[in-house]
Amino acid sequence: MKLSLSWIKDYVALPDDTDLKKLAYDLTMDTVEVEDVEYIGERFENMLVGVIKEVNPHPDADKLRVCIVDIGDGEDKTIVCGGINLAVGMRVAVSVPGAVVRWHGEGEPVVIKKSKLRGVESYGMICASSEIGLGDLFPAAEEAEILDLSAFDVPAGTPIAKALGLDDVLLEIDNKSMTNRPDLWGHYGIAREIAALYKLPLKKFEPAAIDVASDFNVEIIDTERCPRYIGVEMSGVEVKPSPFEIQSRIWRVGMRPINALVDITNYVMLATGNPTHAFDADIIKDHIRVRRADKNEKLLLLNGKELELCEDDLVIADGEGAVALAGVMGGAKDSILPDTKRVILEVANFESTGIRRTALRYDNRTEASSRYEKAVDPERCDQALALSLEYFKEFYPELKITGYCDKYVKKLKRAEIDVDLKWLAKRLGKDLTNDEIRSKLEILGFDVDIKGDNMHVIAPTWRSTGDISIKDDVMEEVARMYGYDNFEATSFNTSFEGIINQKDIALVRNIKEYLAIRCGLQEVYTYPWMNDVFVNAVLQDTKGVLKLSTPPAPDLSFLRSSLLPNLCEAVVKNERYFGEFSIFEEAQVFFDEDYTSPYDASESLPKQRRHIAAAFASAGKSLSELFREVKGTLEYMPRFTHMEGFNFRKETKPVWADNVVWQNIYVGDVKVGDMGLLDKKVSMDCGIKNLSVMLFEIDTTLLKPLISRTNKFTHLAEYPETDYDISMLFDSSVTWEEIREVIVKKESGIIKNAGFVDEYRGRQIPAGKKSVTIRLTIGSKEKTLTSEEIEKAAGSVMKQLEKRLGAELRAQ
Amino acid sequence: MKDKIEKILSEAKERITGALAESELQKVRSEIVGKQGTLSLLLKELPTVEVSLRPEMGKILNQAKNKVTELIEEKRMELKLKASEVSPDFDCSVPGVMPRNGGLHPITQMCYDLNDAFRSMGFEVFQEDDITSELYAFDKLNFPDNHPARESMDTYWLEGHDSGSTNEKLCLRPHLTGGSVRYMQTHKPPYRFVYPGRVYRNETTDAHHERAFFQYEALIVDKDITFTSGKVLIKSILSKVFGTDVPVRMRSGFFPFVEPGFEIDMQCQVCGGKGCSVCKHVGWIEVMPGGSPHPNVLRAAGLDPDEYTGFYVNIGLDRLVMMRYGVDDVRLFHSADLRFLSQFR
Repeated sequence: MKLSLSWIKDYVALPDDTDLKKLAYDLTMDTVEVEDVEYIGERFENMLVGVIKEVNPHPDADKLRVCIVDIGDGEDKTIVCGGINLAVGMRVAVSVPGAVVRWHGEGEPVVIKKSKLRGVESYGMICASSEIGLGDLFPAAEEAEILDLSAFDVPAGTPIAKALGLDDVLLEIDNKSMTNRPDLWGHYGIAREIAALYKLPLKKFEPAAIDVASDFNVEIIDTERCPRYIGVEMSGVEVKPSPFEIQSRIWRVGMRPINALVDITNYVMLATGNPTHAFDADIIKDHIRVRRADKNEKLLLLNGKELELCEDDLVIADGEGAVALAGVMGGAKDSILPDTKRVILEVANFESTGIRRTALRYDNRTEASSRYEKAVDPERCDQALALSLEYFKEFYPELKITGYCDKYVKKLKRAEIDVDLKWLAKRLGKDLTNDEIRSKLEILGFDVDIKGDNMHVIAPTWRSTGDISIKDDVMEEVARMYGYDNFEATSFNTSFEGIINQKDIALVRNIKEYLAIRCGLQEVYTYPWMNDVFVNAVLQDTKGVLKLSTPPAPDLSFLRSSLLPNLCEAVVKNERYFGEFSIFEEAQVFFDEDYTSPYDASESLPKQRRHIAAAFASAGKSLSELFREVKGTLEYMPRFTHMEGFNFRKETKPVWADNVVWQNIYVGDVKVGDMGLLDKKVSMDCGIKNLSVMLFEIDTTLLKPLISRTNKFTHLAEYPETDYDISMLFDSSVTWEEIREVIVKKESGIIKNAGFVDEYRGRQIPAGKKSVTIRLTIGSKEKTLTSEEIEKAAGSVMKQLEKRLGAELRAQ
Repeated sequence: MKDKIEKILSEAKERITGALAESELQKVRSEIVGKQGTLSLLLKELPTVEVSLRPEMGKILNQAKNKVTELIEEKRMELKLKASEVSPDFDCSVPGVMPRNGGLHPITQMCYDLNDAFRSMGFEVFQEDDITSELYAFDKLNFPDNHPARESMDTYWLEGHDSGSTNEKLCLRPHLTGGSVRYMQTHKPPYRFVYPGRVYRNETTDAHHERAFFQYEALIVDKDITFTSGKVLIKSILSKVFGTDVPVRMRSGFFPFVEPGFEIDMQCQVCGGKGCSVCKHVGWIEVMPGGSPHPNVLRAAGLDPDEYTGFYVNIGLDRLVMMRYGVDDVRLFHSADLRFLSQFR
């Protein structure tokens, strides 16, 4: 919302030397956010009033004229101009070098320079209204029409801003910061706040005294939705422009002047925050009724929109039907017409939520509806009426009030609140004296009655429509009037009842740090929804997958039940730039199943888990290399993150995995996730070109963190242990797990461990066989073993492998 | 002859001590103790020496030879140990090889730094599910039925759960604060917790608007707390993120779930408060809402607002991280683009 400083000064005696920066700062800190302070005059720098002395033809162009213009510096200037209404003696707006204009009111701003136009030197520019941003204030009938300022009796050379009385300042207020303050939606409201902040006198509106005997009547049928309606019937009016200063003020704060009748209603709304409306009185049949619309009742709005109303809409009607959508917009039928001679002025109050529903229903929010929906107090009608009549009488000396009716059917009750002063002191963290508290509230219009520790507060009418309703609201008023910045930061007491030990949260962080810092994976974030392409490729089935009803895009409607589709998408995105990379994500996944009510019995929430998943992508590594890298990452994860270890089984193949390369991940007997190679077809469906992708996904809610840093100590070996490598040929189908089992079972007490060194297939190895190199760790608790004893132990292992698995010693 | 030997010996000692390379020692060896070496030649002259002196001279000569050999060996070992294993033209200026490089997401990094700071002040870290009901997203937070925020927040509703009463309607959480009510319902006061998490708004995206973003909420609730305690929370967050004390100011602001409510501004870290294009020439940047939980919110959490009060702040980590590093497009955070993510250590 834009506010004019000179307008505000109509209501509060703000000194001329007020520091505007400070005013903006104070309002921002204590009341509403002032986003910008604009000196309107700055828009018109280097623009002067010029008086045309000669208009001569241009030697080289039919449409151009060469004008001699007096701009007050004693030296007549030659200016070339294409205006169609140029005349000797006309006062015009001249942009001299340095001024910023827009050609024909469009495009980028241009700085005026001395130049030659078709061979004739031109000092500056004689402007059309739109070229200097005045198009709305001085609408031109034709594009080439020059702004005629002859009506402004000022000497040549007067700066435009001064000539037009535009040396005003605009305060731009963030609307969001005053949604809860309906009292501030107008110049008077902000003036009232400034008066309180700076302890300045505020202008009071005397209620209009109207004494007219007539049978003019207004009938409020829905008294809940219309607490008050004042109708004033007047004759002796006509459609004409309003005085320039009124037009100018309306224009300054961002609306368009229309004609005097409409301008008054807009002006009063901008001044008081209470919308008003004027009907052509001759159109109204019978008396005005405020009622709900009939079902399917039709109404053609002022803006041409034809509505089919519903019973929740409030309308202003006459004996024949709806003539206006109450509080939102007038109808086409009752609007001010060029020949309007009699009007009915409406100064009314409507209930906020109904107005809001109606405005939203027809997507027809207006200046009026946006004010009413904030909950305007009905007492404000008095100010709006007084101000309206003041201007009607001023603009129309012939004016006659022929009818008047004030139906105030639901009186506003001022909010009354009891505040315990001890509570207040505690919450403020400061002991203010009763007088200090009283003065801060009274200056805002509150009535304050203090008895002992109790303060009885009655809020002013303009704060009683919901804004002030509990003692915390009163505290806020005291605190902001004291100035939030004047309270020192106070520390809060911390009582340490015990250590904070959040194992589950710590575990997830440990895993993420392990993957990122130890294993070299990069964490990524993706969205909670999945692209259909990747859903189809990776999940292949959407059973149990939740969907958004208003997705960001039609193909992004499924909420993820797995992190893998989005990780595959991330792989595709990064394949353009990298030949090898590994990434992981930790996030929530959702399932349309197992609904529970963990917090509120009436609620029913779907199953939600937290997963961690990774993708290892490489174009160069062999699959076994890549597989062992992923598996190693998983196998060593428990060691670095203090949780129970994994075991790997082959129970159920994940749908996305290659037929051979996959494992299920278990903790104890609970399946916690899967790992494996992304299937070739899935990979193609995803659009992955050259990369092999190995994936894992784990449900972190199923992991079991150790209760503390759990370790086991074993005594250091007293006698040396020896590593002894053996290489044997096995059938290709024999697994390492089987080999290891044989050795560990055979453990005589001196075979301490059997480690996998490598396996080899290919040259020199018969088809269907593989060579496996095993590292035996051999040692005794009792003595240093001799080499014979070591070889004997190794020999017996080999024999067992031969016997149990058909292994052969590899020919050296 | 004795003098000659002495002379050769001292000369040899000098040359050996001064030798810088093994080749020099080799030269000394052949010139003095080699077959044609000066000492060997003297040995050949021995028969010309007087018979009675011969054994002594022979002994001295042999001793001298041994001494020289010994010195050469000693020096050779010394030179060997001193020498580098590589040739002197080994280039130390070539760049190193980067260790395998991964990293946490820049927002995760900031979040963990903040968690550490708050845990040092006795705060718990709370985590909640992304899908919530309208009951917790709005009702329990004192949003009236018709409050514009219910629409303007433009929430992502779930298909099949997008109508009915507010406890039946499900959505991706539009903010974290509803989850804070859940925490309060299930824990005993006093409360001190932080609550990081992602929230979702159905918006059109551009460089400054995202559909999913990261918030960081901090809440204290206790008896006898003044709203000015909140300043400590705010300063903790900003000084952790920016590494220095950042001037902040609290000004009047309105949010349904707090009373009083504040907009919290920090001094613009680009211009130091002088005014620049980033802060629209005011020197301050709005960074977070804050305030005391509204009595109705405390009631919804099962607390007596006459007894308990507190302070809450909620900061958008995306924006803070953007400001910290000068990132100019919020969409990069969810892009999974390694060219972007790998920049953050």
